[in-house]
Formats: sequence, structure tokens, C-alpha cells
Amino acid sequence: MSQSFGLNEANGKSNDSPTHLAAAGLSAGYGDEPVVRGIDLAIRKGEVLLVLGHNGAGKTTLMRALFGLLRPTQGKVTYLGADITGRTPAQNVRDGIAFVPQGHGIFPTLRVQTNLELGAFVADKHLTGERLATVYELFPILKERADQIGGTLSGGQQQMLAIGMALMHAPQVLLLDEPSIGLAPNLVDRVMQSVRIINQRFGTTIVMVEQSVKYGLPIADRVAVLKTGRKIYDGDPAPLHDRVELMKLY
Amino acid sequence: MEAGSLLLQLLVNGLINGSHYALLGIGFGFIFAPTKITHFAYGPVYAIGAYATWAAATMLALPLALAIPLGIVVCALAGVASYLFLYRAFVERGSTPLVILIASLGLFIVLENLIGIVFGTDTKVVPDAPSNVILLGPIVFTSLQAAQVVCLGLVSAALYAFLAFTRYGKAVMAMTDNLEMARIVGIDTARVSLVAFAIGSAISAVPAILILLKEGATPHMGFTAVFMGFVAMIIGGIGSLRGAVLGGLALGIIENAGMWKIPTEWQSVIAFVALFLVLVFKPTGLFGTKARR
Ligand SMILES: Nc1ncnc2c1ncn2[C@@H]1O[C@H](COP(=O)(O)OP(=O)(O)O)[C@@H](O)[C@H]1O
Ligand SMILES: [Mg+2]
Repeated sequence: MSQSFGLNEANGKSNDSPTHLAAAGLSAGYGDEPVVRGIDLAIRKGEVLLVLGHNGAGKTTLMRALFGLLRPTQGKVTYLGADITGRTPAQNVRDGIAFVPQGHGIFPTLRVQTNLELGAFVADKHLTGERLATVYELFPILKERADQIGGTLSGGQQQMLAIGMALMHAPQVLLLDEPSIGLAPNLVDRVMQSVRIINQRFGTTIVMVEQSVKYGLPIADRVAVLKTGRKIYDGDPAPLHDRVELMKLY
Repeated sequence: MEAGSLLLQLLVNGLINGSHYALLGIGFGFIFAPTKITHFAYGPVYAIGAYATWAAATMLALPLALAIPLGIVVCALAGVASYLFLYRAFVERGSTPLVILIASLGLFIVLENLIGIVFGTDTKVVPDAPSNVILLGPIVFTSLQAAQVVCLGLVSAALYAFLAFTRYGKAVMAMTDNLEMARIVGIDTARVSLVAFAIGSAISAVPAILILLKEGATPHMGFTAVFMGFVAMIIGGIGSLRGAVLGGLALGIIENAGMWKIPTEWQSVIAFVALFLVLVFKPTGLFGTKARR
């Protein structure tokens, strides 16, 4: 594997890893009432943070506010200590943050390879070929389907394409919003595996929203739980394996 | 005139009028497809292209070779200004399409009246506009009408190259396909929108200037222009350059073929009927395959 992605290959995770991306007192929403309120969240370099919560808890809203698609109404977002509140996605992408939205995060009428090339829109042109090779190695099916129109791929393949696009500019932080949504269990396994591989091989910091506790927990280093827009748990995944603890939180 | 050559003449007329509609459709679609802004003020901005050329050719007494490029540039700037000073604020605020549509109608009214106040409501003509009658067997047309068809060819070829080979072209295609994903991959959608407004308006200046030279300019000339551009785009299929070209040509040919049996006053009714039929039976447009270009 080439060194083309992000940080070093070693994945030194510990509690004293520096904070990579963080929210402080973050509120965001669509109308007058904020949907997420006063979220404090510090994502450490190289970790996999799993964000759990009911449908409508505000997980997507939080991700969009972190990425800059939604302007926070209150609070701050920081990246490697620098204040990035209110910056556009274009600026954040250039700085190494990638976002895979919920649903089909692709260009459905364009070819698979064009989709991937657009994923590298902000990256140096001469690196595109190398990154394409890396993505094709991770998801060989995309190479087979390189000339196919994105929207004609199966749901699982579209999700791989969406993740592949995000990897095209070698992000240091990858935000994934319910990558398993609508996928059959064996495909969910496959997607979770690739998330693990991306984290371990490239040292990419990952924030992943999941509904499925069963699939998400095994690859998480830390878990945050949202309930009606507030954070109600932030810590070790281990206690959450206990169903009783989980039930209490929800 | 015998029926065969009459039909041929109507077909040629259809091609000529269709080229005008196609140019209008390409310009309107080039703005709408990536930005999703229903820019109805496209009409008076188009008129500004004609008036700027007229002013340069008559008030400044510039030769047409200078007045025309000047008109195109002024028209592009007017388009850019309408995005910068009106639409951008709404887009940034995340306004609904309806709000933006109403804003564009407001701008339409303001600009159309401004043109009337500044230039008066009489028809402005360029006195020494070059136009020769060309006879081709039983077919008659003017050099300006021929220029209309040639301009359509040149503009669509240039636009095709722009979309296929430039970075901004790729960004336009990405935004056309999925605006939110375009933002997510890091495309500066505000800047690309500005480019789309500049190019789309510049394209509209071409048919505007041709109309100025053929018939003269009036403050209200933009209304039919934006309507026909809109219809051509819908008939052809949104987001498809080829669709807008074919949609415009189809519109012109249907209109003129209709004149064979239907009185002239019904010409725009035919456009409405064509639009209605397409919307009912093929809402993605006649040539709107899902694939781009
Ligand atoms: N675009 C939107 N406009 C208005 N309200 C929204 C929008 N998107 C989400 N909401 C509301 O915000 C709340 C949280 O939604 P979301 O962040 O998508 O939750 P989750 O991702 O946890 O399911 C829901 O009540 C939802 O109805
Ligand atoms: Mg969600």
C-alpha cells in the first residue's frame, strides 16, 4: 500500500492523542428552534467515534454542522485547534475533512470513474491516478464498473462508491453518515470492514453515525449517544455491549 | 408556390426560428441546470445585451465588430450582477425555490422598466444592419437568418468543449447532477454559479443582438425570450446541452410546420401545446436521457 493517504500507517490510539476535530457548545438547526443543542465533542486523532441515537435525534444535523454544510447557530467547531466555525465545505475539504452523506452520496448520472475523479476535485491533479488505484484496490468492484453510470449500481456498490469518492482527496478526518442504511447484512459487514481498514491502514480519524448498534460497536473506539439533540453518553463502547445499559440510554 | 417547396420553406423557417429558441434554451439551461435558479430576469438581461449593442453602435458610433462583443460583455456582466446582488443572498440563506422565483420576477419587472425609462419604449434599430437576401433554389432566407443557424452551431460546439475539457465545465456537470454532492466534494458552488451566470447571459446576448439587427429592440423583448428559452429547455430535457439544442429546433419546426395548416396567430399556442404534451407524457424532456451532454 502506498503512503498516499493521510497520516502515518501506525495507528497510535490512546486517550492522550491530540484532539483532531471538536465541537464546543455547538447548536444547529433549520428554523428558529435548534435541532442539536450545546454539543461538546472532542474527536481524537486516529480514533473511530461512533455516534448513536434514535431516528430524528439530530445525528445528521450534527454531522452537517461539523462539515460546514449547515451554519451553527451557537458554539464552535475546531480543527486541529483552529476555529473553523462557519467555513464552507470547500474550505474544509481542502483542509482534509471528507463527508459521506446519508443515502446515495454520489453523482447518479455520471460514470463511476467520473464520480471518483470529482471526489478528487480539490486534490492535486497528478495524484489522482495513484488515489484511484488505491480506491480500486480497496473496492475492486468499482474498477470492474468504472464505465457504468453511478445510479445503475446496486445499493451496496453505490455506498462503496460514495466512500471511495471521499477517499479520493486523502482526507484526515472522514465523516460517515449511516453508511449501512438500506444494505443487506453481509454488505453491512463489508462496509464496516472497509471503514476499519481505512482507519487502520491510513490512520484516518473517523466519525461514523450508525443506527445499527450491532454492526457499529465492534469497530468503535469510543461512542457518543445523542437523544433529542443532546449528548447523553460519551465514552467507552464496552459498557454499551450490555443491552441493559443501552436500553437505559435510549 | 407548390406544396413541396412550401413545406421545405417552412422547414427552413423552422430551423431558423428553432436556432433562435435553441440559443435561448442553452443560455437559460446553462444557468438553471447547475444553480437550480429559475432566473426569469434572464429576459431583461437578454434585452440589455441588445440595448448595449444598440447604444455602442449608434450613440458611440462604434462599428458592429466592436459593438457586438461589447454587448455580449455587458450582458454577461448584467447576469453576474443579478447573481451577486440578488440571488446569492437567497441561496446562502437556503431560501426555497419559490422565494427565489419570486425574487427573479421582481428583478424582471425592475430591469424591464429601467430599460424603458433609460431608453424609451420605442423600437431601437441599427440603421445599417447588414442583411442580404439569399436564394437557394426555391428557398429564401436572409444572411442574418443564416447567421442565426451558424451561431447555434458555434455556441454549442464551444459549450461542449467547455463542459468536456475544463475544470469549471466538470464542476458545472457535477452541480447539474447533484448540487449538494458538488458542495461535499469541495466545489466552490458560489463561484461556479457566477461563471454559469456569466456564460449563460453571454449566450443569450447572441440571439438578442441578432433580433436587434433583424427587427430592433424593445424593452419588452425579454418576455418572449425567457418564455421560449424556458420551453425549449423543458422540451429538450433539463441539464442536457444536446436536449436544449434539439428542444429549441423542435419548437421552431413544430411552430412553422403548424403554420402550414394553422393560422399564424396560433404560433405561440402551438408552443404551449408542445410544452404541455411533453410535461404530460415525458416530464424529463424529449431528449433528456439521464446521462449528461
Ligand atoms: N432539512 C430539514 N429541514 C427542517 N427540519 C429538518 C431537516 N432535516 C432534519 N430536520 C429535523 O431535524 C431533526 C433531526 O433530524 P436529523 O438530524 O436528520 O436526525 P437523525 O440523523 O438523527 O435521524 C428531525 O426532527 C427532523 O425532522
Ligand atoms: Mg440521519
